Amino acid sequence: MDFIKKQFGKIKDLFHFNSKKEVVDFIIKLFFLISTIVSASFIVIIIVFITKEGIKPFVTDNGGIGSVNLVRFLTGTTWLEGTAFKSNLYSVGFIIINTLYISLLSLLIAMPIGVLTALFIAKIAPKRLSEILRTVIELLAAIPSIVYGLFGSGIILVFVYNLAKVFGVQSPGGNSVLATVLVLALMILPTITALSEVAIRSVEKDIEHGSLALGATKTQTNFKVVLTSAKSGIFSASILGIGRALGEATAVSLVAGNARSGPTLSFFQTTSTLTSTMLQGLKETTGIDYDIRFSVGIVLMVVILLTNAGLNFVKKRIGNVHVK
Amino acid sequence: MKKLVLLFSLFLTGTLVACGGAQEWDSSSNITLYTRDTSSGTRAGFMSGIGFDEAAEDDSLLADGFVIKDNTGILTSMATDEYGIGYISLASLDNTVKGLQFDGVAPTIANVINNTYGLKRPFNYVTRSLDDFANDTERDITLAFIAFLQTTDGADIVTNEGAIPLSSSESWDDIKADYDICLQDNSAVTIKFGGSDSIEKIALALTAAFAPKCGNFVPEHDHTGSSDGFKRTQGSEKDGDNYKHVGFASRPFKDTEVGTEGTQGQLAWDAIVAIVHLNNEVTNVTPEDLKKIYRGDYATWEQLLS
Amino acid sequence: MSMSSKRKRIDNLLQIITYGAASVAVIILSLIVVFVFKNGSGLINLDLITNDYHAQYYNGGIENVTSFSNTPKPNILTEEDYYSLKWGIALTDDIDREGKPIIIVSYIAEDSPLYQMYDKNNLDNDSFAIEVENIVQSIKFYDKDSTLSIYGAQHMINELDAESEFREMVFTSLGGGIRGSLITTLYTIGLTLLFALPVGIFTAIYLNEFAKKNRLTNIIRSMIEMLTGVPSIIFGLMGLAVFVPLTVRYTPADSANILSGSLTLAVILLPVIIRSTEESLKVVPDDFRFASLALGANSTQTTFKVVLPSALPGIMTATLLAIGRIIGESAALIFAIGTAIKDDISIFGKSTTLAVHIWSLLTDEPANIELASTISLIILMIVLILNISVKLLSRSYLKRV
Repeated sequence: MDFIKKQFGKIKDLFHFNSKKEVVDFIIKLFFLISTIVSASFIVIIIVFITKEGIKPFVTDNGGIGSVNLVRFLTGTTWLEGTAFKSNLYSVGFIIINTLYISLLSLLIAMPIGVLTALFIAKIAPKRLSEILRTVIELLAAIPSIVYGLFGSGIILVFVYNLAKVFGVQSPGGNSVLATVLVLALMILPTITALSEVAIRSVEKDIEHGSLALGATKTQTNFKVVLTSAKSGIFSASILGIGRALGEATAVSLVAGNARSGPTLSFFQTTSTLTSTMLQGLKETTGIDYDIRFSVGIVLMVVILLTNAGLNFVKKRIGNVHVK
Repeated sequence: MKKLVLLFSLFLTGTLVACGGAQEWDSSSNITLYTRDTSSGTRAGFMSGIGFDEAAEDDSLLADGFVIKDNTGILTSMATDEYGIGYISLASLDNTVKGLQFDGVAPTIANVINNTYGLKRPFNYVTRSLDDFANDTERDITLAFIAFLQTTDGADIVTNEGAIPLSSSESWDDIKADYDICLQDNSAVTIKFGGSDSIEKIALALTAAFAPKCGNFVPEHDHTGSSDGFKRTQGSEKDGDNYKHVGFASRPFKDTEVGTEGTQGQLAWDAIVAIVHLNNEVTNVTPEDLKKIYRGDYATWEQLLS
Repeated sequence: MSMSSKRKRIDNLLQIITYGAASVAVIILSLIVVFVFKNGSGLINLDLITNDYHAQYYNGGIENVTSFSNTPKPNILTEEDYYSLKWGIALTDDIDREGKPIIIVSYIAEDSPLYQMYDKNNLDNDSFAIEVENIVQSIKFYDKDSTLSIYGAQHMINELDAESEFREMVFTSLGGGIRGSLITTLYTIGLTLLFALPVGIFTAIYLNEFAKKNRLTNIIRSMIEMLTGVPSIIFGLMGLAVFVPLTVRYTPADSANILSGSLTLAVILLPVIIRSTEESLKVVPDDFRFASLALGANSTQTTFKVVLPSALPGIMTATLLAIGRIIGESAALIFAIGTAIKDDISIFGKSTTLAVHIWSLLTDEPANIELASTISLIILMIVLILNISVKLLSRSYLKRV
């Protein structure tokens, strides 16, 4: 970049641009700059507006109902005690735990499958097959979440309900932690697979060859050397995956059962996530029951940021092999 | 490649095995409650019908472990969950689930019309105050629409949409001479309808049928919930961006929702049906039963049956 | 020997595990496609795409019928078709796209007196006529109760056959079509790209071609990057809090509308477009830039005439991917565009894209899983086509470079 600038400077010294051209040049550059500022400012706009709406329930008296207690909001175990629009006793504490629990479980399912699939595509499968599989993964990634929701409520709920029966447990129509976890695992699987594949493919050939030369079999090399070298990239893939799981709304709200108290750790009982809580019952457009959804939005943002920060910290600790 | 096919079929068989296997209906099982969320008019109607009004907008009064679903979700869940109980509007009832008798009366349109089926709610309308319309055209079309609601033609549409009309004797042809406004071209006039989303389907059918009879005015529907019905015609939001000419409420108007004279009325009844899985042995419930189920006094089906 | 055979067994086991993992993805895709196809293929036809969602109502009146029909029931009709010899019309029970029972006109005889019906709403309308495939809602008589479609075709024919005049026949076109949502989706794609592409491309150009490599640029970059981590439901809330009031104030809109939805989607897409454009800009060799500069072009000329054209295939790919995202997005749009299914589409009005249409159908009373699956099937096909286009595009691009 600097090199171009320098060259540009030299050329500019040699030739004298007429001033009109320079003005046009300046204006266009200014235009580019404005675009950039606009693009960069949206994250600020989002934060400012969500915060502005979301702190209303805590700082105003909500039309005579009284303000929401922040500590209770963050630690309580029941979404709302009392009548909607007449009570200020909101809590999301248990929903935060539910959300993290569900996202983590879905990652636990999706990560091994995703990473092994990625390994298969990148190293093991014949070229034709890996082309086909790559397309399959891309298609899965492109399926809208509402379709996953439709699939979840039509197939996965019935599956989980019957599975619970096999275990001798009575599940409320399959609306449960497990159903939500399965739907989310399906949804983040393509993300994890695609990104892990990139990480695996960018492992340097030298490392691989070294392992093979030392007498390790191809499979041994794939599992012991390639996967280990790609672990930083795989970890990044998982971070993105869990981000998607935390923020997914439409599909989840169709299979979670939207429990109003918790937290739910049992696999076959109803649960709720921050996003499903935001989507439920959003019909009215004023009042505390509306504003509180923005507050849940803030909590969701903070949860995602903290999770990412935490995972990135872990990644730095374990990922000593740098992969682009 | 062979291995792949083998694994594929193994997985599929596994899935199918897990899905199969019918068992006897076991009355000692726990009851799973299904409910709409607190903004639902169906929920308000149901809770008031079983004498549990306080739970209409308060989840914390319901027994633990309830599932919140929308109308579709409750209907499809009841086809799967053998031990669930939920409620839907009579118009949505189909043969994939069992509709329970209420106090010994089967949930049929006939029984609602002859006033023996008790679990029902009124569908009401409210218009702007007659002196609060932007112009006479909008007011007169609104009045003509309200008049149409009371005719046999309006009643036919209500019946066709699965709700129960009030009795009427005059047809639109009999009274249309009183509404000159419908003779002129109204295609540039937009009339805004809002309020209860439970009434949306019926309201859409009514306006779609009435607009061609009244100069092709443009009906605009934006149904956001019963409480917005009054709020946006005569209440706090009547002059806001979301103002409406006609609002609907799928419940009786509250004491705080009394409008000016001649602006409110009923257009239909809607029956609400408690539904269970087809295998369920229960066929009849009383309001007290339902209240006990939703409050958590009955935890298992046995307790209800004994 | 034993050592190596043990090794071989472990290797085989591990191989099988990877095969198994990879087949999971294939199984999931097949299950989803089979599920959607099984539920939704029944409704797929051209009418679905071209029809309105809301039916058009017609009110026919008839007076002093002079001659009735003589045509016997044609052989092409089955037992399911109930026929009135007198009126020369056959009706049959069917289910509309909403899953509601309806009565469809399956045949009208040429000498049917129903052709004498006039448009009660517009006496000057000469082209008024009932047609095959129309839906009969109700027939109203002077001295007895109306016959309605919920009572079934047989009842309606019997009631009609017993009379020699009626007060009004209400019939409609077949509703439940997705034309409105399809148009909304197209509008949304167009508007979103109109906002997102220039801003996104200009930002990418600025970051890649002009910006100094310093802290500020890094901050800007990471601010844009942060948008990728924001869940779409939060974008929806932002749309509701920022773009909806903004469009209500400065345009004829009075609630959530296509414009506010598109603006919201544009923000969601910005980081995607910026990143892929930047990536394709990076691939353009610096030699091109130097050559252009050396030939006397200034930096903006170089950018527009040399760098940008070379990066065009990359930008096209990003655009196609963006279109896929627009078609699939639901959570953000539920807030920012509304859930009212419309036929008359205005960019300042509420409306639904295909994905939101599915959401509306699933949360409606009564539910309509079949139509929802059909729309999902259409979305899946569009996604597949886009995906293949991206592949072909990048392949031809790779050949050229």
